[in-house]
Amino acid sequence: MANLMNDSFLLKTAGLHLGYGRLPVLQEVNLEIRPGEFWFFLGPNGAGKTTLLKALLEEIRPQQGRILTAPELYRRENLGFVPQRCDLNPTLSTTVREFVLLGLVGIRANSRDREARLDWALDRVGLAGMAGKDYWSLSGGQRQRALVARALVRRPRILFLDEPTKGLDLAAEDALMQSLTDLNRRESLTVLFITHDLTLAARYASHVALFHNGKVEGGPIAEAMNPERLLTTYGVPIAVSQETAGKVTISMGKGTDNS
Amino acid sequence: MIENFLSSWHLFHNSYLAGWLIGLILALIGVLVVARNQIFIGVAVSQASALGIALTMWLGAELPTGLLLGFTAESLSPVMAVIFSMIAALLTVPGGETGKETPEAITGWVYLFAASAAILIVSHSPLGLEEIYRLLSSSIIGAGANDVWIFMVFLLFTAIFIGISHRRLLLFTLDPAMAAAVGMKIKLWGLLISAVLGLAVGLAIRTSGMLYTFGCLVLPALVAKSLCRQVRAMFVVSPLVSLGAGVFGFILANHYDFPPAQMTVALLCLCLCLAWVWRRICRELKKVF
Repeated sequence: MANLMNDSFLLKTAGLHLGYGRLPVLQEVNLEIRPGEFWFFLGPNGAGKTTLLKALLEEIRPQQGRILTAPELYRRENLGFVPQRCDLNPTLSTTVREFVLLGLVGIRANSRDREARLDWALDRVGLAGMAGKDYWSLSGGQRQRALVARALVRRPRILFLDEPTKGLDLAAEDALMQSLTDLNRRESLTVLFITHDLTLAARYASHVALFHNGKVEGGPIAEAMNPERLLTTYGVPIAVSQETAGKVTISMGKGTDNS
Repeated sequence: MIENFLSSWHLFHNSYLAGWLIGLILALIGVLVVARNQIFIGVAVSQASALGIALTMWLGAELPTGLLLGFTAESLSPVMAVIFSMIAALLTVPGGETGKETPEAITGWVYLFAASAAILIVSHSPLGLEEIYRLLSSSIIGAGANDVWIFMVFLLFTAIFIGISHRRLLLFTLDPAMAAAVGMKIKLWGLLISAVLGLAVGLAIRTSGMLYTFGCLVLPALVAKSLCRQVRAMFVVSPLVSLGAGVFGFILANHYDFPPAQMTVALLCLCLCLAWVWRRICRELKKVF
């Protein structure tokens, strides 16, 4: 990643081409992610959402183009990641405390700092007071929030989430999304969220990136999420209604309502 | 009983010390093996190590000394044991890439190939066959002062390595995706852990045999898994269980004239049963209260 000195972007991709070996996945990706934005990466399976995420996390190298990053992201402690699922050996006992503190790898923190970070992270995801609990006694939704807490314990400037609501029931999904929205608003945490769920994006996103056929089109939700682009991305007609404060609602079917 | 054991100390102290040190090293590394749910890697790596020894014996019998660069088969066999076990451990590093074979399948192949090839190579040599059967059946009697020093240094390095990087090791073991995201070179860590496992098993098997090596690798860690509420605590409990079983096993074996390696492994198996029962009781009590 190259340094970015003269503007306020946290991450910026310039003419980015990504792929695996000779197989191209994404071409000419140009995105700018600023502090405090809530981005949703949307698109069908295999469209390259996770590939772009991996590139932003420096797990794969660009075939062409550049990823520019703000100096504060040079230190990886400012970066949090929530995987789709954690393949923890289910026969292994662990506490919420131990699980969440694993997120501190690569960060120097004394025991007081560790405890403060732990309490803060658990509090932010609604698991305050559960540090001593057995991780496996948590519900599916609580475990997912523990995963978020493990990323938050790093006190990141930007949080990457790879389909964290997959498999959650509505209540658990809502609790997780409320936690993320609070963090985004109160702590100005930049969020980058991968999902298939358009309704989630319509409800919570400030910006979206639509992935289709190797291309990515992104921007503020009111601009980027329109029926034509959604039709191109998903191949089915989706109606989009513009609301106040740049929000949109969507429904299956044709048409656009600019109320 | 203890007096009997102490009276045998001057004769067998190197064997006892080597056995306990091997137990401590393998119990520490075993936590990672058990946490990754890759228990059979231990037996496959041990078997590969035996193949290395069998190959050295065959080379020693068939080739003139000049072709072994002046080394005898006896002096080369520990090196070959370590090399083969490290190769086996590296072969079984989980790749996780689509289209590649699963680590379980590779582990199975390594075990079966090594088990059959080791016997085939030495099948026409009575001494070779005897040595392989000795390795498979385990005997810790015969360790020298050099073995004790080697294992002491290895234990020190293993303990320091785990002490310094236990959080990284745990994150890598429990969630490689997150480990990669926070900047850990997960392929390198996979190779490093496999190399340490291969080295430990390769060194241990020459002195203590396959049963003791495999037993000390997985049983103490499994006991610790049943007793501990946190993975981190397993790094303390597992070596303690191994040492306790080793001391008690050697004392019992000496008193009743049983083979010490088998006695220790049997005791560890008993400990594991008790730990499972204890865990079950705790679970039931939790439900009641």
